[in-house]
Amino acid sequence: MTEPVTDSTETTGRANAEPHFLKVAGLHAGYGQARVLQGLDFSVARGEVCAILGPNGAGKTTTLRALCGMVRGRGSVTLNGTELLGRSPEQTARLGVAHVPEGRGTFNDLTVEENLRIGAHLRTGRWRRDGRAERAAVAADLERIYGYFPKLRQRSRQDAGSLSGGEQQMLAIGRALMLRPSLLLLDEPSLGLAPLVTRELFEIVRAVNEEERTTVVVVEQNAQLALDVAHRAHVLEAGRLVLSGPSQEIREDGQVAEVYLGVSVRSGKGG
Amino acid sequence: MSTITATLDTDRARRLRLALTALLAAVVTVGAPFYFAPFQVFQLTMVLLYAVALAGLNLLVGFGGQISLGHGAFFAAGAYTAAVMLDRYDTGHLATLPVAAVGCFLLGLGFGVPALRLRGLYLALVTLSFAVFLPPLLKRLEPVTGGSMGLTVDKLQPPAWSGLAEDQWTYFVVLAVTAVALLLARNLLRSRVGRALLAVRDNESAAEVMGVRLSLHKTLAFAWSALFAGVSGCVYTWVIGFVSPDSFSFVLSITLLAGLVVGGLASLYGPLLGAAFVMYVPSVAQDISEAAPGVVFGLLIIAVMFVAPTGLAGLAGRVRGAAVSRLTRTTSAAGDRTPGSEPSAPPTPADPAPVDAEPVGAPPRTEKE
Repeated sequence: MTEPVTDSTETTGRANAEPHFLKVAGLHAGYGQARVLQGLDFSVARGEVCAILGPNGAGKTTTLRALCGMVRGRGSVTLNGTELLGRSPEQTARLGVAHVPEGRGTFNDLTVEENLRIGAHLRTGRWRRDGRAERAAVAADLERIYGYFPKLRQRSRQDAGSLSGGEQQMLAIGRALMLRPSLLLLDEPSLGLAPLVTRELFEIVRAVNEEERTTVVVVEQNAQLALDVAHRAHVLEAGRLVLSGPSQEIREDGQVAEVYLGVSVRSGKGG
Repeated sequence: MSTITATLDTDRARRLRLALTALLAAVVTVGAPFYFAPFQVFQLTMVLLYAVALAGLNLLVGFGGQISLGHGAFFAAGAYTAAVMLDRYDTGHLATLPVAAVGCFLLGLGFGVPALRLRGLYLALVTLSFAVFLPPLLKRLEPVTGGSMGLTVDKLQPPAWSGLAEDQWTYFVVLAVTAVALLLARNLLRSRVGRALLAVRDNESAAEVMGVRLSLHKTLAFAWSALFAGVSGCVYTWVIGFVSPDSFSFVLSITLLAGLVVGGLASLYGPLLGAAFVMYVPSVAQDISEAAPGVVFGLLIIAVMFVAPTGLAGLAGRVRGAAVSRLTRTTSAAGDRTPGSEPSAPPTPADPAPVDAEPVGAPPRTEKE
């Protein structure tokens, strides 16, 4: 069998020869009659930041939603060998997949700290035997999150609805980290944010990835920014993978990127 | 530094004010039955009793973002549980309370199942059907429920040692039940379950990807809410000493919901205000118009919702917010008129946030996708 163009032997033979932590094979997904994803294949190594790029309507968000169970998919998605498809979002979260939805999805009537505690919801069941140890761990994690996002500490007693867009995005990411995920899914973290804020966010994502070895899949319109942080990138177009490879190569393949991403990724200014 | 001491000061002042209000409230609630006439004490007792049901409904509607037009059915279930136990098995009054509570909790779990699939108006319709179908059912089950004649049972009697009159003793018992129930509701909301409930109301899908099990928390909200309604119904039997199917028509369910909305959704003391509204306003309406008290009652609800869209509980905050914004506006206008005082003028004329920051009950939402 010849490999599909999307997963060339060149890329698989590269440095990250670790076993595939997240493996997506033949993924189809859509909403009712609208079929958005038409057979996606890609994989992400453990500890890697992987960017999914592409124009509007390419199916980037749908890919993430299929991974976390919000959208039903066909095909196969395995995380560390466990099949994810066919599970509810809540069950997927139990397997260590944390999803930061598009538009942040913070709980605006809850305080910042309560939002973060919701992230630890699964870890603090009332009848757990190790309840006390786990509560201490949650408290430690709160500190850790506040370490990454000092602004959240200042506002910990405020309603999340009173935060700025950038702070809400930080809160959404912090909340997802409270789950202690093995896989973090970020959907358009830059949406509606000032460039400077976005850059700060991506730096934090990089720090989280480096310090906690959390595998990250990030969907992004701002290709320049995403390629700066990601180790590897996949470019989607109309529900199919058209380009895949280490960020460096995608960046250098300026012509292809220009065609599919609609931006010149080589000019330092970004999209 | 100065801001830190300032916040400390306001914190201490706030705590002091809170303690004083609590003390005052305690004195008033304990002193009331010795001051008022028996009938007025009875009315106060009914307010406390309804507040329990409204607090339960508030968990579901105000904090859970769901809707129920059938809570009268849970109230009736609690009332009949108490009445049947007192009538047939002659158990003490106190024994009926846990049975009614647990029974209604289980009933709520069962009836919460439609809430998993339905929302908004559809859920309202299904829950309304509970309330509509219960009275005929109670009439049919005549051997147990006494049919349309209802059941007459013993009211609470004061023990000799207390030296209290019947109305006073009843008042204190109901006060104790209400206080425990309201505290329980408050603690429930601050617990992990309450947080999950609020998260589900705010953003269902975001809550779900955080691992909050929607089905569990939605049915639990129904069950807790039914428990409170059942306790309230049980206490109703203690106070009134009589139950009949006609006491629990679907109008009761709608009155409960109206009381909650008028009192203030998603507010901790809204249920008390709402209970006072449903208790006193009908009699006020009767005074205003003998012929059509219902019309006056309806108009008063409209008037309250017009003046205080967030309910009576939100009214105080709205008034304060409006006063503050007017005050800052006048000072900033004065500052503008004096030349050379620009730096000292407040940068923003008024912060609209305090006005809007009142607890606003989320109406049942419909999925956008």
